[in-house]
Amino acid sequence: MKTILLIAADGMRALIHQRLLVGLMLASLALTIAFSVLMNTARNSMIEKFTSDRIAAAQSKGSQALSESERRQLRAQVASMSSPFQAGFYGATSFAGSLVALFIFSTAVASEIRRGTIRLTLSKPVSRTQFLLGKYLGGVAVMASYALITSVAMFAFAQTQGFDLNPAIKWSPWLMFCQQLMLGSLAMLLSLLVHPMIASVLAFFSGNGFYSPPNPLYFILPSYSEFGVFSDVLQGTLIDWKDVAILSLYAFDFVAIILLLAIWRFRTKELV
Amino acid sequence: MSAIRTENLSKTYKSSFGRNETSAVRMLSLEVKEGEVFGLLGPNGAGKTSTIHLLLNLIRPTSGAAFLFDRPVTDSDVHRRLGYLPESVNLHTYYRGRALLNFYAALCGVPAGERENRIAAVLKLVDLEDAAEKQVSKYSKGMAQRIGVAQAMLHDPDLLILDEPTASLDPVGRNQFRELLLELKRRGKTILISSHILSEVESVCDRVAILENGALKRVGTLQELSAGGSTRLFVAEMSGPVMNALAATKAEVTWFQGQVTIRCQDDAVRQTVEQLLLENNVEILRRESEKQSLDEIFLSTIKQGPTS
Repeated sequence: MKTILLIAADGMRALIHQRLLVGLMLASLALTIAFSVLMNTARNSMIEKFTSDRIAAAQSKGSQALSESERRQLRAQVASMSSPFQAGFYGATSFAGSLVALFIFSTAVASEIRRGTIRLTLSKPVSRTQFLLGKYLGGVAVMASYALITSVAMFAFAQTQGFDLNPAIKWSPWLMFCQQLMLGSLAMLLSLLVHPMIASVLAFFSGNGFYSPPNPLYFILPSYSEFGVFSDVLQGTLIDWKDVAILSLYAFDFVAIILLLAIWRFRTKELV
Repeated sequence: MSAIRTENLSKTYKSSFGRNETSAVRMLSLEVKEGEVFGLLGPNGAGKTSTIHLLLNLIRPTSGAAFLFDRPVTDSDVHRRLGYLPESVNLHTYYRGRALLNFYAALCGVPAGERENRIAAVLKLVDLEDAAEKQVSKYSKGMAQRIGVAQAMLHDPDLLILDEPTASLDPVGRNQFRELLLELKRRGKTILISSHILSEVESVCDRVAILENGALKRVGTLQELSAGGSTRLFVAEMSGPVMNALAATKAEVTWFQGQVTIRCQDDAVRQTVEQLLLENNVEILRRESEKQSLDEIFLSTIKQGPTS
């Protein structure tokens, strides 16, 4: 286990030094800031309009203060306006996260083989299985950090804009994380067979969303769409924790099977 | 116990569509004993690096088997006793020198308390103490090679596999490296060294193997390999008929101040000449084997052409 952790730490260190990855993460951050600014502008213009309407109406009645019912109305308007923005925010961070995951996992082992650095690492008492699992774990740690950052960003976003988080979006960082691990494991397996870029594209389009039962591909290919909460956020539907548990179990089963296949492939792969 | 053993080891590469096959290693059977310094020689494409990659389990053999310390090379645990320096040292460039060595030391299982001392010792050994805190990406080729040597020796391994170890070193570095190899040899380490620089191999190796087109052409100590080379026979004066008979052989005969010197190029010629002299009652006063340099052995072996 110690060896796997050492490889994972090395993998994280390598990823932090990847300019493209840092660029992707910065782009994701920029997207978050852009959404915050957009949301704030929209919110201010809505309050301004509501207030000016209220003043115009009050001038005829001789009062300028907002009544309790007017305040409730304003809050409801801001809340209804926030749902598409929360869904948009979720969609952007989820998409950026998927790109980050594909990049991380498809290059984790492949770049070591391409650069030849794997030769020195595997000349140490490190088995191929330990190497692969270490690299995967390093990627998982980076994706967990990404999920944590997006969670914090979402809460900060909600706090600064003064609205409650949509009940569906509260589970989104975890479900997003599970989905990205599925994508990542598949990208890693495919990168042992084809070029990392092709592996990423194949993994991205590997979902079963294009098929429906009784097509066998529907049952074989991963079901990423179940992890998306975009429509739940828009409609404001609740997500049951039992559904989350089942989805988590599905994701971990999928990852375990794919990793076993990757280990099997990697054990016989020529590394020069 | 043998440190390295290969049994009919073969490696064939196939092209993408399996139409063309290239044999990198052919039925190679070798044994390197513990404490031996063994040279792996051969022209470019002879199969030296492929053999090393097979020993490190970086590539899989098409047939045959390879063992390190009598354990299959697929057992990564045996790498605790192994240090490896590749031909081109590709390092994780996001580390500083000392941090990189710390990572490798941890992988080798060097206890945390001992790492600092071990790292300091190997940095001193390869003369990289001043560059220990420098980013590896800023290292020159020679510095990368030296930190490559350092990582190979971090855990004081019993076996060192060195693939063209001095390729990127300047003459001073090469000399230091030769001294280092001799020191390691004195300490009883087993070393497998692949090199194009024959003088370097000659000065440190106990035995050498010469590969060509993936096949083993010759193996043995330098003495064994030079045996069967040319021999000079010194005899007293001979009669005309004997001289005529000698002229019919491939031996070179020279006469100087009453002494005849017969130079026999190989064992077969020597045996023919000795038989002839014996039949004619000519006494052989002295025999001298001409010692061949490794360069000569290597070139004569390669000139013989591919092994059938």
